[in-house]
Amino acid sequence: MGYKVRFEPSGREIELASDETILQGAMSVGVHVNASCGGSGTCGKCKVKIVKGKTTVPPMPLLQKWEIEQGYRLACMTKPLSDIVVEIPIESQIDRTVLRRERAGFAKVLSPQDINQLVQGWTIDPTVFKRYLELPPPTKEDNMSDLARVYRSLKQTYGFDRISADFRAIKKMSQLLRDADWKVTVTMVLTRKGYKLINIEPGDTSDQNYSIVIDIGTTTIFGQLLNLHECKVFGCPGLDVDGAERYTLAIASDYNPQISYGEDVISRIVYALKPGGLERLQEVVVRSINKIIKELLKMAKVERKYVSHMVIAGNTTMTQLFLGLNPKYLREDPYVPTANFLPPVRAINAGIELGEHVHIYIFPMVASYIGGDIVSGVLGSGIFQREDLTLFMDIGTNGEIVLGNKDWLMSASCSAGPAFEGGGIKFGMRATRGAIEQVRVNPATYEPMLMTIGRAKAKGICGSGLIYTVAELLETGALDQNGKFKHDLPTNRVRKGEDGYEYVLSWADENAVNQDITLTEIDIDNLIRAKGAIYAGCKILLDQADMTFSDLDRVIIAGGFGHYIDLEAAKIIGLLPDIPDEKFMFVGNGSLLGARLLSFSKDLLKEAENIANMMTNIELSNYPRFMDEYVAAMFLPHTDETAFPNVMKILKEEKAA
Amino acid sequence: MAIEIPKRTYKGAIRTITLGAGDKAVTVGGETSLPFYLFEGERPNPPRIAMEIWDMEPEDWPEHALEPFKDVVSDPAAWAKKCVEDYGAEMICIQMVSTDPNDKDVPADQAAETVLKVLDAINGVPLIVWGTASHEKDTEVLKLICEKTHGKNLAIGPVEEGDHKQIGGSIIAYQHTCISSSPIDINLAKQMNILLGNLGVSDDKIIIDPTTGGLGYGIEYSYSVMERLMLAALTQEDERLQFPMINNMAKEVWKSKEAKLTPEEDPLMGDPKKRAIVIECITAMLLLLAGSDILVMRHPESIKLTKEIIGDFMAAN
Repeated sequence: MGYKVRFEPSGREIELASDETILQGAMSVGVHVNASCGGSGTCGKCKVKIVKGKTTVPPMPLLQKWEIEQGYRLACMTKPLSDIVVEIPIESQIDRTVLRRERAGFAKVLSPQDINQLVQGWTIDPTVFKRYLELPPPTKEDNMSDLARVYRSLKQTYGFDRISADFRAIKKMSQLLRDADWKVTVTMVLTRKGYKLINIEPGDTSDQNYSIVIDIGTTTIFGQLLNLHECKVFGCPGLDVDGAERYTLAIASDYNPQISYGEDVISRIVYALKPGGLERLQEVVVRSINKIIKELLKMAKVERKYVSHMVIAGNTTMTQLFLGLNPKYLREDPYVPTANFLPPVRAINAGIELGEHVHIYIFPMVASYIGGDIVSGVLGSGIFQREDLTLFMDIGTNGEIVLGNKDWLMSASCSAGPAFEGGGIKFGMRATRGAIEQVRVNPATYEPMLMTIGRAKAKGICGSGLIYTVAELLETGALDQNGKFKHDLPTNRVRKGEDGYEYVLSWADENAVNQDITLTEIDIDNLIRAKGAIYAGCKILLDQADMTFSDLDRVIIAGGFGHYIDLEAAKIIGLLPDIPDEKFMFVGNGSLLGARLLSFSKDLLKEAENIANMMTNIELSNYPRFMDEYVAAMFLPHTDETAFPNVMKILKEEKAA
Repeated sequence: MAIEIPKRTYKGAIRTITLGAGDKAVTVGGETSLPFYLFEGERPNPPRIAMEIWDMEPEDWPEHALEPFKDVVSDPAAWAKKCVEDYGAEMICIQMVSTDPNDKDVPADQAAETVLKVLDAINGVPLIVWGTASHEKDTEVLKLICEKTHGKNLAIGPVEEGDHKQIGGSIIAYQHTCISSSPIDINLAKQMNILLGNLGVSDDKIIIDPTTGGLGYGIEYSYSVMERLMLAALTQEDERLQFPMINNMAKEVWKSKEAKLTPEEDPLMGDPKKRAIVIECITAMLLLLAGSDILVMRHPESIKLTKEIIGDFMAAN
């Protein structure tokens, strides 16, 4: 159910859901409204007049009483209650002829329903599951051992055969069975050798079966808590979860604390080779994962003892560092990892604070720079099942890319740097509350229109905000194609700062950090390098398959840079190829995507291994042409303008206007 | 039986660019085939040579390089005049060495004064003004020179990414030609030309300086990049690369150890004058084969020999 909102004087219209604000509507149809507090209702700049229809009347201390009476509202706080007509005040208006285009191609994270459709033919059937048993107590006649009694009951009640048991479960079994009056819940896991009983608890706790999935990225660690019991869980109320919220109890993330020992994998490896270095790196990442687990359990109000499974999907280096495996040979020619397939590891042995029965399943890896996170992404996005030629791009510190379909898969990895996760950016931050994620720039006054995650006062800018801002600045002509600002613009927002020229996104008195939030030329350089590496990597990978971007049926984008990616902005800066919007799909964190599925369905275990086996990795450093493609891509959008015909058309039109 | 040589047709062509104004103006470019592949295309304008002069008395030139100009090296105007009158120079390239902020740091107004005197002395022969590649100083010096020589259509360079807005702006305003400089990379060369285009420099006012490596000091990189520039311009019709090329080669040749060694230092290297001239000629020939349209050269004898080479190449087909 939506309401029609018309903006005057442009006459642009949009249908708004009743929980969407007028500012959101204006943003999507390209109507400029000054807004600098990110939608938190504190700057008062997004004042608009409702000339027809009804809206909510939020508390607006910044407006005079008479203003509210006359229909003035803050666009960022106000939601329609009927079809409305909104008048944009003169201070926000720009010359009518230079209204911005409507943004097309706005790719949101896929909804859980859509994500389910990505992979077919799996059923909800977790590897680790619980079963409730009511056992007959032993008698003189029926005097089989406690363990055999449990086995018998499992067979009689559930039909499980060939069961083995973990010694730790056996150890506490006799007393527990009796204390619990022979009513217990057992936790089972399916291994290669059959079912294994790994835990026993008093009473019926079969509806309390949780899994934790962790993505260890070079820059960010993400964790999610899943309910394995029927997979029917709802997101934490009020929590900003991604599109998978239906299945996720909680999501938490933190910067990988190893960052202080090096920003990229190579410097981490170098650090690990110092005396005590590996232990130190392992210690900090484990501590951080424990912190995330604690946070997840607290958020979801779940007791620690009910977590019975953990899945880790990380890049190869991060996985080896987490397990304390010497990473030395990952960076030495010919770059081989210790193992592509690691056996499940007992959580307590890895220092993870979970029950002693919990095992960590580690996603299989492909090569030194194509890790379990990518296998997980490929699994979760279902590329391995489809005919369509798909390009999978995981945009992170390492840009990992996979090309192929159900018959073949090729991968490559290019070092992009942490820019998309907010690293190496002066006011960069992860995509959390207060991060600027959507930006519009007025082409006449260069005043910004900002929206932050959680509509809070701005704290910084996240990856998607960065892509947006650079695209807008380029479109409005404030930025040249080499990422340098024009110096003679009629605005105080482009100025010479201590790090060279910069654009002020938010003034100190409007944001949460009490200093001007800026985007510097150095930040833009970092972004250009990052996107250049990824684009060049894709180009080489396609070349190796004797294909071009136009041969692609589908492009799946994964990455933790925000809740959505604006396809047009990403094309304008040349991160994504200039091909039709409908070919793109954004899955958010690809690594967690696969890890979740793996927790829910044991069928997919085998698939993960198949994927790792069938993937052919290409070492970009062996291709001298990579450097050439990289330099060519370090321009906005690209040195080869013919590869971006639509973008160039947009830029030329903007220039003419 | 007559053998028919297979021919390739090129879709693209290099633009023609005119330097200078008036009846002594020089036009270069216009190639429709790879360098001297005259059996496949046209070369309406042969490559040209600009004679190099300095805006101050050189201190590190070997004796045999100085010798032809001994009487004039302390006066840039007289030096230029000699090049034109005695050696028949079709173009002059003045190196603004004295403005180097790390050396003499001569101020812009004085440098502009020198250029005006030179212009006066050469009587309409096109002039190339080459700065020191210090962005700040070049901005000052070259901007002022542009202004003072309004309409003379000088070639001004090097214009690099870091100073293209400032210098480029003056080049447009005072109607000169822009030497678009980039560090031996086809993509960077193209990016420079796009940026200049965005700035408003018109397409008939751009010459590419791909950056020249000396013989034995990296000329193969320049050769390879120039060859790729030509191929992209002609076969891929890359319109942001279809500009003539200039090579500021003399200073690379003459600063090399091999061009300076005396017989006392190394008797096996033979006659130093002949050796240096041969090095300059071989450098020139390689750059011509790679697609150069303008060579900046120093020694009158090298220039004479190179002109003969050009004549032979142009007549060979």
